[in-house]
Amino acid sequence: MNPHVDFHAFAPEIVLTVTIVAVLIADLFTDDSKLPARIAALGVLGSLVPVLTLAVDGQTRSLFGGAFVVDPFSLVLTGFFLVAGYVTLLLSFDYIGEGDYYQGEFYVLLLTSLLGMIVISSARDLISIFVALETITIPTFVLAGWRKHDTKSNEASLKYFLIGVLSSAVMLYGMSLVFGLANSTVLVDIHKYASGHTPALFAVAVFLTLVGFAFKVSAVPFHFWAPDTYEGAPTPVTAFLSVASKAGGFVALLTIVRLGFFPSGNSWQPILWVLAAASMTLGNLAALRQTNIVRMLAYSSIAQGGFILVPLAVAGDVRGNAAWQAVVIYILIYGAMNLGAFAAVIAAARRTRSAEISRLAGFGRTNPAIAVMFSVFLFSLAGIPPLAGWFAKFVMFRAVFDANTTVAVVLGVIAAVNSVIAFFYYSGVVRRLWFDEPAAGVELSSPRLPVGLSAAMGLMTAVILVVGVYPQFFARLGEIAFQRG
Amino acid sequence: MTEFYRQYLSVAVLIGAAALMFGAMLGAGRLLRPNRPQPEKFITYEAGSDPVGGWGQSNVRYYVYALLFVMFDVEAVFIFPWAVNLKSLGVYGLIEMAVFIIVLTLGLVYAWRKGVLRWA
Amino acid sequence: MQLNEFLILAAFLFCTGAYGVLARRNGVLVLMSIELMLNAVNINLVAFSAFTKNVSGQIFALFIITIAAAEVGVGLAIVLLIYRNLHSPDLDEVDQLKG
Repeated sequence: MNPHVDFHAFAPEIVLTVTIVAVLIADLFTDDSKLPARIAALGVLGSLVPVLTLAVDGQTRSLFGGAFVVDPFSLVLTGFFLVAGYVTLLLSFDYIGEGDYYQGEFYVLLLTSLLGMIVISSARDLISIFVALETITIPTFVLAGWRKHDTKSNEASLKYFLIGVLSSAVMLYGMSLVFGLANSTVLVDIHKYASGHTPALFAVAVFLTLVGFAFKVSAVPFHFWAPDTYEGAPTPVTAFLSVASKAGGFVALLTIVRLGFFPSGNSWQPILWVLAAASMTLGNLAALRQTNIVRMLAYSSIAQGGFILVPLAVAGDVRGNAAWQAVVIYILIYGAMNLGAFAAVIAAARRTRSAEISRLAGFGRTNPAIAVMFSVFLFSLAGIPPLAGWFAKFVMFRAVFDANTTVAVVLGVIAAVNSVIAFFYYSGVVRRLWFDEPAAGVELSSPRLPVGLSAAMGLMTAVILVVGVYPQFFARLGEIAFQRG
Repeated sequence: MTEFYRQYLSVAVLIGAAALMFGAMLGAGRLLRPNRPQPEKFITYEAGSDPVGGWGQSNVRYYVYALLFVMFDVEAVFIFPWAVNLKSLGVYGLIEMAVFIIVLTLGLVYAWRKGVLRWA
Repeated sequence: MQLNEFLILAAFLFCTGAYGVLARRNGVLVLMSIELMLNAVNINLVAFSAFTKNVSGQIFALFIITIAAAEVGVGLAIVLLIYRNLHSPDLDEVDQLKG
């Protein structure tokens, strides 16, 4: 019996897997330290090719009894993850190459995590979602502790590990109850089950499952690991965690709510509402008093996560796909802004040798190019037009107005107040960059920036400016994602 | 449900037999062996490697072996269902499992090349 | 046998594991508690699977077993690393990062 398998459908996954094996072998049998990095970069770009051919083909392909589906939604997000992964590689080349800890495993672990992300965009079943989520997180536990003789990096890794595993266990307990009630692990069947009358236990199961996801996307009150892990981990890894790994969690959450729990609105809407409101408010208030730029960005990414949760929380009252589109568009734009911001932090830290915000004083006078791009990323995160961030906020508020219920409007007001608070700390950093005198004894000149880092910053700046001025580009991607293939 | 419990009867018999054999072997050993206690006999590893403190009575160096063992042990979970259905899966299943095992072996080769298996 | 008996056992194991994760300070014991929680989930899945004759629960359990092994492998490596740097498996001593 030869089961019919559509190899074209998961060609991106196959290319990436072969790349991982190739990187591992290259690291073992050559002394050329650049080779694994080159293969990794080539493999990530190579995986984009089948994504494009699948997009041109445009057919929805369902494999393994509906557990793995390739549709426009999964293609848009697979493309996003691969590009984000490539940019992370650009950030890492010199950071990892120059450190004392150069090892080819770094690329293997990064690519394995990336593999989990592109699987999760297509996963439509509790088992495949769980396996993909763990494929994302387990390599990142190791990556967070990459500087193995640095006790801070150890601590980052330990906290991330404990919270990650605990959240998996809680999520799995919820999923096991969902399976017991719906008698299926496929989301389509769970959707059918949730459409009928469900017992109270189903609400408990949904609650536990969502709590697990809340840990993964570091939503308040399950966020406390994030700032510590972000600070202790190597900065390129932090960029990867805050963008790709977090987006992976959101994609899984979106899929499981949209295709699984959706009809049973009472069981998931209140939870997401509370998570969204708490994440925005506490994330922003904590970000206000940070003196370390990485910690500030950590809290800012918690707050941004809250903004992404807003359309999800009101999705039950929004007609059509507007809410889902808002989530996808926000994820795409957030990815570009945050990767850019971390690239700028890495670039600035090469000059100042510190992550303290005070050390950035007067940076704009000595390194205007980096400072301009840094300011672009920060203003975009704050949501100021004509940078891409405003469009992300715009689609989020549009989803709130489409829902037009009291709870949705209250959430919208909370989001609006938070946008104002966020502006303060983002602009505070920009003010330091341009208007403060450089602190005494800070040596700001140093050798040129590595090509990869400059390329990553340039690319992200371009994306933010283009999307900010011409938002139809990402809006169209959002529409395509939810078209019937 | 009596059929269900009857199936467990054989398990109970097996447990009983195991306990009996265990007791008989140890008891026979106790009766036959000479008894001359020495302090060296009470350390964890008579071979001479000292356990490093804090972790109870285990040497941290065994950790890598334990880890490698658990990894391969657990992967067997996927091989058993495959082995049961080998005939119906045919050549396709054989190639599929070969790929799986090759990737796993690559992990072992990696550990070996990186000197993890050398006693440090 | 009733399905409920299995579910109660699983719930009890899960709570024991959760308590262990929160209360224990030794890294190795925390890892063991996490295993307990994951095995509670496995009992749930296999029990549901046996009673509804739906085999996907058992497949889920197989995946959980393997992934749990990978998690604990990584976890043990991290605890070991901390032990080497701090000479103590006590997780409360790991507290440099505050926020």
